[in-house]
Amino acid sequence: MIQVNNVVKDFDGFRALDGVNMKVEKGSIYGLVGPNGAGKSTLIRHLTGVYRPDQGEILIEGEPIYENREVKARISYIPDDLFYFLQADTMVMMKYYRGIYPNFDEKMFFRMQEFFPSIDVKRNIRRLSKGMQKQVAFWLAICCRPELIILDEPVDGLDPVMRRQIWSILMSEVAEHKMTVLVSSHNLRELEDVCDHVGIMNKGSIMIERSLMELQGNISKVQIACQTGMPKMPKEFEVLHMSNSGRVYTMIVKGNPKEVARAVSAEEDNLAIVDILPLTLEEIFIYEMGGADYEVKDILF
Amino acid sequence: MIQVNYRDVRPIYEQIIDSVQKLVITDALLPDEKLPSVRELASKLAINPNTISRAYRELEREGYVYSVCGRGTFVADNRTLKTEHVRALLQNFDETAAELMDLSVGKEVLQKRLDRIEKGVWNDTGK
Repeated sequence: MIQVNNVVKDFDGFRALDGVNMKVEKGSIYGLVGPNGAGKSTLIRHLTGVYRPDQGEILIEGEPIYENREVKARISYIPDDLFYFLQADTMVMMKYYRGIYPNFDEKMFFRMQEFFPSIDVKRNIRRLSKGMQKQVAFWLAICCRPELIILDEPVDGLDPVMRRQIWSILMSEVAEHKMTVLVSSHNLRELEDVCDHVGIMNKGSIMIERSLMELQGNISKVQIACQTGMPKMPKEFEVLHMSNSGRVYTMIVKGNPKEVARAVSAEEDNLAIVDILPLTLEEIFIYEMGGADYEVKDILF
Repeated sequence: MIQVNYRDVRPIYEQIIDSVQKLVITDALLPDEKLPSVRELASKLAINPNTISRAYRELEREGYVYSVCGRGTFVADNRTLKTEHVRALLQNFDETAAELMDLSVGKEVLQKRLDRIEKGVWNDTGK
């Protein structure tokens, strides 16, 4: 669906994107994560055809996106800062979208009204709360019946019920129409539940792009209580990180949790395995970023 | 029915598999009963439909369910699964019992526990 090849973008001598490569399959839900200023929003603006790359190419369904109306008609995009016309209410915006997007589904719009009970469609959108404005943006975006929906920080500012509601609508569209979703977010816990692929961005390029299953199946956290000094790991597993408090050692090990468990218990007898867990996405993010010199500094001076 | 705990450390994919397996083995889902469709489950639990399809495929491979093209996924005959499950539990029991005996917990203590369990009382206070 999306293919990004070696894209470079400079703003006034500042290199915002530095050779980005990325691939998103049709029907998948791709989570784009990265520290502030990594270039996520810049990349998204390239994917939606707002910016033109200095070098490289961006293909959506095999076609370049920049100034390409036919392809853009099949994409919905919710930016992080929403824009509505000054005097417009939701009905006016709906008519505007209907005029622009050829696949806009007006029946669906009215059917979905029950999902957004708090929104008065006759009220000026700019007078609605921030969360409600997000709901309107989502409502309009999904009614365009897009094949690809790009969401930049989609659910911040939404209450828990609405977050769940929005994800639920998205998931049902993915299951039914094989819609592709690209979502950038800092809520890694939430991404973990919904995404199947993750791209971690840092300093203008994608560091890691992997399926979530692969990412989680290949790193595990081991907690071991060891009676005699430092515990030893079997050689075939690389230890990325080790810390201890007293006799309990916590290690981050490259390898499948089940295999690691088997290997550790085979190695020595005086080890008591406390726990072996797959790493959460948040932990993976923090450890990978730590390797790239971006970490939480110790707050004790 | 099929439950997912968002705070559980196990991946969601495994949780779905475990949850269906349990339902099948305990007869909460009867043979030939239809499982919720991928779409239904995805929107109800707000999780990735691809995760659910993958869990269903794995369950099919393990023989817990079968799928009919265009109609959905159904619960398989669970008799062989039950004997398999019993075998796995007994294996666990043997390992635990052996470990306890290594820690010099006598046979009588284990026997007492079994008696208690038979009467339906299983906490440590043993009332």
